[in-house]
Amino acid sequence: MERHEISRREFVRIAALLGVAAPAAYKLAGSTPAFAEAANSPFPAPDANAKRGGILRVAMQVQKMEDPATYAWAEMSNQTRHILEYLAMTGPDNVTRPMLAESWEVSEDLKTWTFNLRRGVKWHNGDAFVADHVVFNVKRWLDPQLGSANIGLSTFAAMLEETGEKDGEGNPIKRTIEGAVEAVDSHTVRFNLSRPVLSVPEDLYNYPTAIAHPSFTAPLSDNAIGTGPFALAELKVGDKCVLKRVTKTADGQDFEYWGGDVYLDEIHYYNFDEDNQLTAFAGGDVDAIYEFAVEQIELAKALPGTIIAARTAQTLCCRFQVNQPPFDDLRVRQALVKSVDNAAIKELVYPEDGDVAENHHVAPIHPEYFALPPLRRDVEGAKALLKEAGYDESNPLKITIDVGNTDGPWHQTVCEAIRDQMKDAGIELSINVMPPSKYWEIWDKTACGATAWTHRPLGTMALSLGYRTGVPWNETNFASAEFDAALDDAEATFEVEPRRAKMETVQRLLQDQAVMIQPVYRPVYTIVKDRVTGYPAHPTQYHQFNRVWVA
Amino acid sequence: MAVTEAPLPRPALVEILRSTKAMGTLLSLVWVPLTIYVMFPNSVPDGIRDSLLIPSIPAVLILYAVGVHSWRESRVAVIGLTLICFWLLMAVSAPYLPLADPNKPIMPFAVPGAERDGHIFWLGADFKGRDMLSRAIWGCQRVLVWGVTATLIAYIVGTLFGLLAGYLAGWWDEIISFVANVFLSFPVMVLFILILNYLGPSGFNIVIAVTFASAPAVMRIVRGLTLDIKQRDYVLAAQTRGEHPFYIMVVELLPNARGPIIVDACLRLGYTTVAITTLTFLGLGLQPPDPDWGLMIRESAGTAMLWKFSYMLLVPALSVSSMILGFNLLADGLREMSLRD
Amino acid sequence: MLKLILRRLAQMVLIMAVVSFVLFVIFDSDKFKKQIAVAELGGFAVSALTEEDYRAWLASKGLDVPFHERYANWMANLFQGDLGHSFEKNTEVAGLLADRLLNTGILAFWVFALMIPIALTLGVIAGIKEGSPQDRVTSFISVFFTSIPEIATAIILTVIFALGLQWLPAKSAMIGGWNWQELVLPVMTLVLYDFGYVARMTRASMAEVMTSQYIRTAILKGIPRNRVILRHALRNALIAPFTVIVLQLNWLLSGVVVVEVFFQYDGFGKMLLEAALFGDIYVIQAGTLVAVFVAVLSQIISDIGYTFLNPRIRFN
Repeated sequence: MERHEISRREFVRIAALLGVAAPAAYKLAGSTPAFAEAANSPFPAPDANAKRGGILRVAMQVQKMEDPATYAWAEMSNQTRHILEYLAMTGPDNVTRPMLAESWEVSEDLKTWTFNLRRGVKWHNGDAFVADHVVFNVKRWLDPQLGSANIGLSTFAAMLEETGEKDGEGNPIKRTIEGAVEAVDSHTVRFNLSRPVLSVPEDLYNYPTAIAHPSFTAPLSDNAIGTGPFALAELKVGDKCVLKRVTKTADGQDFEYWGGDVYLDEIHYYNFDEDNQLTAFAGGDVDAIYEFAVEQIELAKALPGTIIAARTAQTLCCRFQVNQPPFDDLRVRQALVKSVDNAAIKELVYPEDGDVAENHHVAPIHPEYFALPPLRRDVEGAKALLKEAGYDESNPLKITIDVGNTDGPWHQTVCEAIRDQMKDAGIELSINVMPPSKYWEIWDKTACGATAWTHRPLGTMALSLGYRTGVPWNETNFASAEFDAALDDAEATFEVEPRRAKMETVQRLLQDQAVMIQPVYRPVYTIVKDRVTGYPAHPTQYHQFNRVWVA
Repeated sequence: MAVTEAPLPRPALVEILRSTKAMGTLLSLVWVPLTIYVMFPNSVPDGIRDSLLIPSIPAVLILYAVGVHSWRESRVAVIGLTLICFWLLMAVSAPYLPLADPNKPIMPFAVPGAERDGHIFWLGADFKGRDMLSRAIWGCQRVLVWGVTATLIAYIVGTLFGLLAGYLAGWWDEIISFVANVFLSFPVMVLFILILNYLGPSGFNIVIAVTFASAPAVMRIVRGLTLDIKQRDYVLAAQTRGEHPFYIMVVELLPNARGPIIVDACLRLGYTTVAITTLTFLGLGLQPPDPDWGLMIRESAGTAMLWKFSYMLLVPALSVSSMILGFNLLADGLREMSLRD
Repeated sequence: MLKLILRRLAQMVLIMAVVSFVLFVIFDSDKFKKQIAVAELGGFAVSALTEEDYRAWLASKGLDVPFHERYANWMANLFQGDLGHSFEKNTEVAGLLADRLLNTGILAFWVFALMIPIALTLGVIAGIKEGSPQDRVTSFISVFFTSIPEIATAIILTVIFALGLQWLPAKSAMIGGWNWQELVLPVMTLVLYDFGYVARMTRASMAEVMTSQYIRTAILKGIPRNRVILRHALRNALIAPFTVIVLQLNWLLSGVVVVEVFFQYDGFGKMLLEAALFGDIYVIQAGTLVAVFVAVLSQIISDIGYTFLNPRIRFN
């Protein structure tokens, strides 16, 4: 792919941002992929060979379904994903398309977003889906009493203002800006934001942003009214979750789903923790699993079925707090980074899939990724820097990294590989392994720790959350006005090409400050039986089964 | 059975070595370095640490020889002792054997007998490519050290309270016995889970958990023995002499309660080893990366569910089984011999 | 006798009260509340919460109520049969507990149904003639199987029967409905580990009876040996094993944890471990109290049974 030409996928996304219907956009881009179909659908094209009916059985942790706006785990949202739907939908290809919103327009300054809702969408109780329902949901999310993580998303943060008062801890109390979200007519919703926000469509597919019926009261599992093709038939937390096709509305009429063909009759989730999902698959109990770890890949290869590796921006940041000794010395941080060969570590941990990361937390699958020159390992350079900083053979640099394996034992493998490489530069790294729950207590406090970050569709999103001065998830305590300004600039740039050009500065600023060793963007593995067709490999393990069928 | 036998003429050396003092010295020669090596790896300079375990190797061999000689009448005890000493020898000589680094990934999923760069994986390699033989041998170090330490502490605590309850009787007995009853009314694993969940998983916390779970049982045994022994003449004599109760407990009572305690200790060592392995498997025990058997099982349980990878589970499973078999057979043999005397 | 039983039952209630209080103290700590928060909301989210948000979250879960009040409420509810609500499973604890206990009960039933005949037969065979080859062989078998921890037995059986011969499923999650095949490996694991101990007790008891005066007299009187064993020896020899078997209930509650976790069988042990890891206080409370109840009750039954069955003690 030519780096400086706009790629087809990016073009489709821009077109989607502008509200151009996807098929038209694909036509402009000069190809007709599986997604380009009539009727402006976010789903893959219908499959003429598809067999209708049947049950898809998936091994996953079965969790409770309280309030979709306060969901904390992707598993919960998967149980809900075919019941409640979203305004937009990010596909397995990392492109965000209109879903319950048919199209959208954005103002030049990226502050006013107008969503044209799809007509003919019905709730399971027979109500028509209208703009007021969206306004209800957004206002709900913005209520601080609810405690929805959505408030943290740029889109909704830009709908809040400070009241001037402070709470007991000295944090400002916020409230919703008057008129931040409005129903223009029965099928048009407008967001009036206080700042330019680029990632509005992506934020609208973050898992706690599912659109619930205005009659919603928690728990969802008691009365789940949605617009999706399935309804909840049975939920036993820690055991199973059964979804069945909706055929009749609550008032006895035929339910016609807006999204076209759906092949499955039922989706069954069976509770298995992550270590046991592949064994359940091996035993023939299930057709697909949520995820298996890279350690299990040889077992997976030996089983009948298809291994699916999704390319993602999920990563591990072995990061340093820049205001804690010895990491407050830039030379030390640079020496640490120079002593490590990211590509070699990626090769060791994920030999077959995944991307090499470059210590700036923007992944090659992000549309605005700017390819900086590849990082080179430089042991001699590292030694020289260490000498300057006052370390040598008689006084070697000794550091400890906290590892919680929150995302699987590969964290530890990465750290062990880093340890072995650092040895060559005379650095002694010891690895302090702790249970995941313990790591979550200290993840943003430890001077040196390995934290997992999940995939986000745009490159600017993780940077905004984790590296801006003083933001809650800034685990490195990195504070640079220059970086913040450059990131602001990039985030205010709507078109991908100019934004990519601006990302060069952003990425370089972060990389040069050597705040972390980030060796790999990992693939996410799952496996499905051969009788399953159309199973999507989503980078955040979101299940999108509308066009999946079983033989 | 009172079969009088002419005492065998024993070599003088064995006699000397069988004395309590010599055995104690030998045991501590094995134990202290091993404990320092595993529990406090950073407390000694590297140079000393590298040669720390060398004196322990002959000590284990001498212990084994003396043990075989003294218990030769019981085949069961000798088999048990052989198994234990085998693992003990592995534990102390692990740093000096020509083994691969147990934490170094070399060749993932290498089946037993596979070879790479001249290194033969006799027992295969795990999913990360770490040599299983090396991990199994290094693993026994941690299991042994934590298992024995935990049992030892449980014994010290249990014996202390048992002596107090049995000798002082009255209110002391009531209170101590009630507390012991509270702990004994838990299924052991439930108690372990609760304690370790509260304290967090680590080797030191396992020691605490085992103490809570085992000490009450030990206390009961010692209390019973004490109640029995304290009626004997020599105790009454000491009391009339006006000795301090503490002196009587430690000097008069304890040595005479030794026999049953040793047998029980052997069994309890087995239980503790099982507990540590099981707890580590459940994720409440020792933490990675250093190998131990429970961890090897835990790490492979999701990976090795295929006939050709089953060695990853079988190696640690058989290792821990053989060690516990050793403890149980030894306890059995000792009990048999004590009944015969 | 009645007085003894009442005394023991009163002691049991006292122990359960102490246990529930201690557990409440432990799990009421800030540390465990945080643990629930992390398990519910995720580590990232919790650290982004302000102090106020966190307190609001605690309030929404009913965790902000002062300790003594919560404990009193819980106690009051307990007497009305309400065991509280599970944070993790989002369901009433009573139903969950009943469900899981039933599963473990089925497992335990089969373990006992198989273990008792095997153990008694082996023990009697060994004990009839102490020191004979049959005694040595059965004794060794007993020690051998008891020495293999459940986790190892589970692995070895899985490797042989599920991975090697492929006769049985490797996991027992029963997701396709009830399936007896999935019960075989967990039951076998527990039986293999457990029968040795009971067999050894039976052997010791049998051996003791066989050397007793009245059996010798009976044999000397010319009554056929087999009849002596069946009519007289067995009855007396089975008293001691009876108490041991009842006590195995207590042990089984420990053993099921690892077996259920390994085989993914949704029973009481797995529930308790999951609850402990999550910090699901009401489930832990209920589970622990049930475990303590079963353990103490089995101790009492075993004591009573022993007193009742043993003529020597009864007539003293």
